[in-house]
Amino acid sequence: MLTLSFILVGLFLVIVQTTLFMPSPLWLVAPDFYYILVGYLAYNFTFLHGMVVLLPISMVLDVYSGTVIGMYPALCYLGYFLLRLIVAKIPVPKSLYQLPCIALSYLVVSWFLILLLDLFQPQAISSWEWLPILFRVFLIYIFSFPLFRFFTFLDKKIRGKISSARFTRSKHGNQFRQD
Amino acid sequence: MKKNTRRQSKGSIKTFRFVLFIGTAVTLVLILLIIILGDQQFGPVHKIIFEGVGPLQKTMSTISDSLHSVKKNYIELLTVREEKERLWQELQECRSKAYANRGAVALNARLRKLLDFKESSTLPTITAQIIGKDPSLWFRSVIIDRGTSDGVGKGMPVVTGEGIVGQVYASSTDYSKVLLAIAPSSAIDVLLQESRIRGILKGTGKNLYHLEYILKTAEVFVGDRVVTAGYGGMFPTELPVGIVSKVTRNRRGMFLEIEVIPAVDFRTLENLLVIERKKKEFN
Repeated sequence: MLTLSFILVGLFLVIVQTTLFMPSPLWLVAPDFYYILVGYLAYNFTFLHGMVVLLPISMVLDVYSGTVIGMYPALCYLGYFLLRLIVAKIPVPKSLYQLPCIALSYLVVSWFLILLLDLFQPQAISSWEWLPILFRVFLIYIFSFPLFRFFTFLDKKIRGKISSARFTRSKHGNQFRQD
Repeated sequence: MKKNTRRQSKGSIKTFRFVLFIGTAVTLVLILLIIILGDQQFGPVHKIIFEGVGPLQKTMSTISDSLHSVKKNYIELLTVREEKERLWQELQECRSKAYANRGAVALNARLRKLLDFKESSTLPTITAQIIGKDPSLWFRSVIIDRGTSDGVGKGMPVVTGEGIVGQVYASSTDYSKVLLAIAPSSAIDVLLQESRIRGILKGTGKNLYHLEYILKTAEVFVGDRVVTAGYGGMFPTELPVGIVSKVTRNRRGMFLEIEVIPAVDFRTLENLLVIERKKKEFN
């Protein structure tokens, strides 16, 4: 239920990003909502659950955008692994660094992927430009505050329902009989 | 003695006043009779009265008008708040209608251009609408609401009334992805319309093209029109592509560095035409 809900939310965010937040093909102010979800999954989901949620979302992104198949799954999973690694290795409380880390990891992962593409398929992508990418990083940081609140709210609601359903689930047979 | 003299003089004054009053009254009655029974003409007496009463009437009329005006203004003031709210609402409605009309006019102009192109072109075309845009910074593509069920296939050129937009990159039954001509991976065979010099037009990811492989010996000027060459059968010939905006001759290298401003404004793309071509033509 939780996994499915977050898949649906992720797909909705991708659709919003490619329609509502993209009035023209050259529009710059289009925050990468999907990457904020990558961050949330890395911080709050189990390794496997996060991977499962990211798969359909990154595939839809691949369909909607670009000419290099596999670019978005690579971006999402690299970001996901990097953020999980940071969570596991840094002894500082997570709340202090989690939102800036998402934005910074986006910058690092994008830079790494563009570098790879520039080496192997230089004709396929635009050249690296600092100003637009930094602007996108800033947008991720800004939008991560409300989106994290929303994800947390959704997470609590769904997890609450699941746990209460487990408590209230009726057991079969006579529970008081002593054999 | 003195008292008797005073009484006598008082009595004579009274008598004089009475006679004077009666005389005046009789005179006035006579005048009135003469006027009424006379020749019914607006005589000098009337004119004197007219002149005397006129200003009074005028003054009274002015006062009356002022009073009426104050009364009217007061009554109007009582209803002005409601009137203001009604008018404000009306203004808002009119503004929103005007805004919608402006949008409709702009849409009409764009669709008219498309229609003109469709009518003037002998090539079969499919109209399409953009439903999604590539959010990345590195690629430039759009999603359109036409797919293989409508006759759209991979490689088909996509245009607007202004010129070329790109080509179909991939398609499903009902939707297609169009690689824009400004995408870094796009390359189109083009000609300079007047000099017929051939080059390759490459996208930059911005609202600008680079025209490559034109030798330094060629005469290229700012303002030259760039059109499709039609080699390889991908794009039809002579479709507008853009206008040369900058020509740079570097010391090194064989070729000119040429920048071309697209004929199509990629920032306002909405409706497109897919030129239907058979698959054979792309092989």
